[in-house]
Order: sequence, then C-alpha cells, then structure tokens
Amino acid sequence: MTMPVSTAGLEDLWKRVGAILETDAPLPSRIAEAALAATGAREAALYLRERDAWVRAGERLAGEADCPPLPDPLPEGIFVRDGDLWLPLSVEGEVHGLLRLLGVESAPESSNALAFLFGAVVGANRLARQVRDAEFELKARLLELESLYDLGLSLGGQLDLSALADEVLFRSISLTDAGKGTLVLVEPSGAVLLERSVGGDVFAARDVKSWSLPDGGLINNEAASEPTSGLALNSCQKCLVVSIAVPGRRLGVLAVADKESRDGRVLDFSATDARILSLFANQAAAAIETARLHRDAVEKERMERELELAAAIQRQILPRDLPNVAGLEIAARNVPTRQVGGDYYDLFPLSRGRLGFVVADVSGKGIPAALLVSTVHAAVHLQIDEAPTIADLFARIDRHLQRYAVTRKFLTCFFGLIEPDTGTLRYVSAGHNPALLRRADGRVEQLGATGVPLGMFPNATWKEKETTIGAGDLLCVYTDGVTEALDSREEEFGMERLTTLVASSDSPDELCKAIFAAVDAFAAGVPQYDDQTLLIVRSKT
Amino acid sequence: MSETCKVSSERRGDVAILWTDGYINNQGGEEIAREAYSHLDQGVRALVLNLEKTRIVNSIGISILIEVLEKVMDRKGMLAFCGLTPTIDKTFRIMGLAQYAEIFPTQDEAMKKVTSQTA
Repeated sequence: MTMPVSTAGLEDLWKRVGAILETDAPLPSRIAEAALAATGAREAALYLRERDAWVRAGERLAGEADCPPLPDPLPEGIFVRDGDLWLPLSVEGEVHGLLRLLGVESAPESSNALAFLFGAVVGANRLARQVRDAEFELKARLLELESLYDLGLSLGGQLDLSALADEVLFRSISLTDAGKGTLVLVEPSGAVLLERSVGGDVFAARDVKSWSLPDGGLINNEAASEPTSGLALNSCQKCLVVSIAVPGRRLGVLAVADKESRDGRVLDFSATDARILSLFANQAAAAIETARLHRDAVEKERMERELELAAAIQRQILPRDLPNVAGLEIAARNVPTRQVGGDYYDLFPLSRGRLGFVVADVSGKGIPAALLVSTVHAAVHLQIDEAPTIADLFARIDRHLQRYAVTRKFLTCFFGLIEPDTGTLRYVSAGHNPALLRRADGRVEQLGATGVPLGMFPNATWKEKETTIGAGDLLCVYTDGVTEALDSREEEFGMERLTTLVASSDSPDELCKAIFAAVDAFAAGVPQYDDQTLLIVRSKT
Repeated sequence: MSETCKVSSERRGDVAILWTDGYINNQGGEEIAREAYSHLDQGVRALVLNLEKTRIVNSIGISILIEVLEKVMDRKGMLAFCGLTPTIDKTFRIMGLAQYAEIFPTQDEAMKKVTSQTA
C-alpha cells in the first residue's frame, strides 16, 4: 500500500513535535521520540543512507541494526511492509532517511505531514553535515598550505639531519593520511646516511639511489596486486614514492603507503597527494643539502682546529735552539705543511763532546701523527742515557711504542752519534731515507737503512753501523718531504737534485738555505702535503 | 613512538585523563573514542587528553577527536588537550578543535583548570 505525501496538517504537527525536535538529544532519538508522540506508535526506528546502504541511526532505537530488505526502487510514498509502516523522508525527490513505525499497519492521519517534516529535518541535517565536511576539507587544505609554509621556515633553520628527516616524514604521513611512511637519505656513494619509518617500513631494500622515479612522484594504487617494478617495496596495498633530489644527484627517497579512510578502507593516493609529497621532498632536498654543507663546514673547522693543535704540539717538541758543540757546525730546519705531518728532529749534546741527533718521519698526519711524535720524543729523552748502544736505544723506543702508542702507526728514524775526538759517526737507520755524507773531496755517500721502521713489527732489531766523519765532511739527514716535493706536473724534487746541492756546499747554514730555496723554486707555489726537515752537521776537525 | 597508538586512562573524580602513545590515525582515534565514551558513560564530566607521546595526527584522527568533542559538548562536559607538539598544536587550531576545547602546555595546568570548572 502506498500513499502520496502531502503537507496537510503540518502546522498542527509542528505544535506537537516541535519542542521535542528542538531538544539537545541526538537527532535520531529526537525524530523517533517525535514520531511516537505524533502517531501514538510504540516503537520507531530510523535508517539513514550511508553510501549504498540503509544503516540504522541511533543505537538505542528499536529495530534491527541491519535494515530489512526493501523494494528496489523504493515506493514513492508511505508504504507498509511486513506489518510495519515505512515513511520515506525526502527533500525534492531525494530520500535521505526511512522512518519505520513498528507494528503500525495503517497510516495515521499525520503520516504525510510527518514524512514531509522529518524529511526536511533529515535533509537539513544532511546538508549541515555536508557543509561541515566541506568546511573540514577547506581547513584541511589550509593546513596543507600552512604546513608547507611552516616546513619551509622550520627546515630553513634546521641543520640537524635527524630532526629534519622526522619533520618531513611526520608531516608527509599526516597530510596524506597515510598508514605508514619511510624516508631514506643516502650518501653520494649510495650508503645509507639516515632512515626513518612510522607505522612500518615501506621499503624492503635501501638501493634507492638507482630507482627510477618520475619527477612528480610515483603513485601505485594497485601495489598489492602489481608490485612496482624496479623499486624494492615491502608489501603494501597502495603507495606513493617521491625522490628527494638536487640537480644531478638523488639525496634520498620519501614514501607513504596505505591511505586511510574513516571506515577502515584503504583509499587511492591522488595527484594532490603526489603534489604535496613532491613539494615536501623539494623543500627537504634544499634543507638537507644545506645541512650537509653545514656539516662539511663544521668538519672542516674541526680539522683545522686539530691541525692547529697538532702544529702546536710539534712546535713544542722541536728544539728552539741548536747546541754549540766543539768541532761541529750544525744547521737544522723544519717546514711544516698546512696539514701537519709528523716530522721530528732533535739534538743531544752528550758527554766527552759527543753529539747525538735524530731525524724521524711518522706515518700519517694531524693529531695522531703529532701524538706519536710526542711519544717518540719522550721515549728518546727517557732512554738516551740508559741505552748502551744506538741499536739498543731503537729496541727500547720500539718496545715503548708497541706498549704505549695510542695509534697503530710507524715511523722512519735516523739516529747518529758523532764523536769529534775520534772522527767517528755511528748510526742506525730505521727505514729512513738514505742520509747523504759528503766527503771533503766532494764525493757523496749514502747511509742506507739498517732495519725496518720503528713500531712496525714487534721484536724487530736494528744494526748499528760506523763510519768516519773527518774534517770537512758533511752529513745531511732529511725527510722525504724534501725529495718528494712536487711541482705542477707532479714530478718529485728527487735524490739527484738534492745530492747535487749537497755536493756543492761546505756550509751547513748555506746548504740548508740553498736546499729549501731550490725546493721552493721547484715546487713553484704548488701546495706541498708533507713536512720538510733538514739536519746538517759538518765536522771542522 | 609506537607503531600503533596505545591509549591509557585514569579517572580522578569527575575528570578522566587519557594518555596517548603513537600515531593518532583511524586506529588511534578509535582507541581514544572508545576510552573516552567509556568514561563518559560512567559519569565523567571532563576529559583531559595528554598527547605528549604523540607526534603525528592525521585528518581521520582529527575527525574522530571532533566526534569525541561533540559528544562531550552534547553532555555539557569539557574537553582539554595538553602536551601537544607545536605542529599538532597548530593543526588543532587550524582544524577548529581549539574553538571548543582548551589547549594547555602541561597536564597540571589542564587539570587545574578542568577541575576548577567541574567542581
């Protein structure tokens, strides 16, 4: 049975139910209570359209939770079905709700007016909800804009990569309503610099540098059934992946997955989502690059401070003045490079007019090399009076290094002992460049290594050799910074040039100046990366 | 931060404090709503939501919080938030939550105000 809906009796009905409809109770309860008051029915239920189904509104109302099967299409007006009266609540032909009066088989007089009135109420309520949803959407768009603005401001001053990654990832997940998200930053080598995930890891691997991604980001709303080729992703239903890149270089990848809905479904990612994520990735790329440059600058500053400290250590260790030893002329000079190597020289006036001297070159540069030089310096000063021979001195220094050196480095070392009285030179060379002994007649002899570098092998031994050093003989001990000085073609100064210079001069001072002048001229302004040290001794007697 | 949002609560007189830990999305929002409605049904008049262990909220979570707020207002009750990150604070203000619910920096400040108004 169906009946047309009319508005007759609406005013009278409003007087009876209006007060109930204006209460603060939830809308379904208000409608049901008003319907009962207007019709005298015992129970009422209200069903509202939720997407494609009729869903009971108001948990405490009568009727089954699931709407009973109804004719499709619905009758145009009020109808009776299975002993209940059904009032379609419609506005301008669109049915927004169904009021069910249980156990009522004949339409009360007020039914038409009731259907019209409640139709208007439900329609207005739906309209209000649509307005509210639209307002919510508008606010959500405003939030997106504000977030982009805030992210720009926040990242602009953010130099902590970790905090920066959190900021980008959290906002990305939040604004796309994603269930999970992952951000991976990589070094230029491809090694992972930093990774963050929320809700689970979107990626199954980290070889993100080689992934092929379009400029605007990659949307895969069929990820569950069609895995994204070329990208190692963990199982997800839908995903959106964008590249974080500066021109010519990928810094990382940002991905979100499984966009949520209020009813628990996983929604498709949209072009708007991809645009937002791409904008975030662009801002992140600029900020990450800035943070990286800052980190590099801080590292450079730290290294410069370290070099200054190393240079200070070295300056403290090298002798300030050269000793006066009867029968000997001495010159020595150390030219440290900007990177501070580990050259060391020292002189020890000993009893009976003897002179001990050492020239050493530590492997490596900076603080570690400076510390090792410091250790060697201490060991030499501690042991020089105790050791019966130079070879024994070297064994003691080596044991000291093996036991106390904080870094596993080694050094080449030449130690000489001149006895002017006897014209004897005894020496040990631990893998050091050959010292040059220029005889008074101009011949130049090389005093080669008598053992391995110090600190290299435990229990190593060194041979002690002896030669004469007579009147006019000159000994030149140097470090490889001299012979390996480079010119602009990366050619080395070499032994030949040094030997020629040594052969041509009788004065240690003049020879020292001449060698450094020749090396400078050879290098012609090319920066050198190794210390240069010379120690020259000439016997006058 | 937890993978899934955990919600714990404690009733103090007419006020219930809810602590969240994790992402307030659909799941997290539902957890909050369940806990909040349970307290409201037992006569609690005011809710204080402490979000100090939450760093992300999405729009689904916000819409559920709005539903909770509406239910609290239907019952003439009061809802307050505290422990918000600056980002979430701004999000709540833009999305309108701050129009009807007060936001406090700390739980103590929120409790002081809520307790004085429900006494």
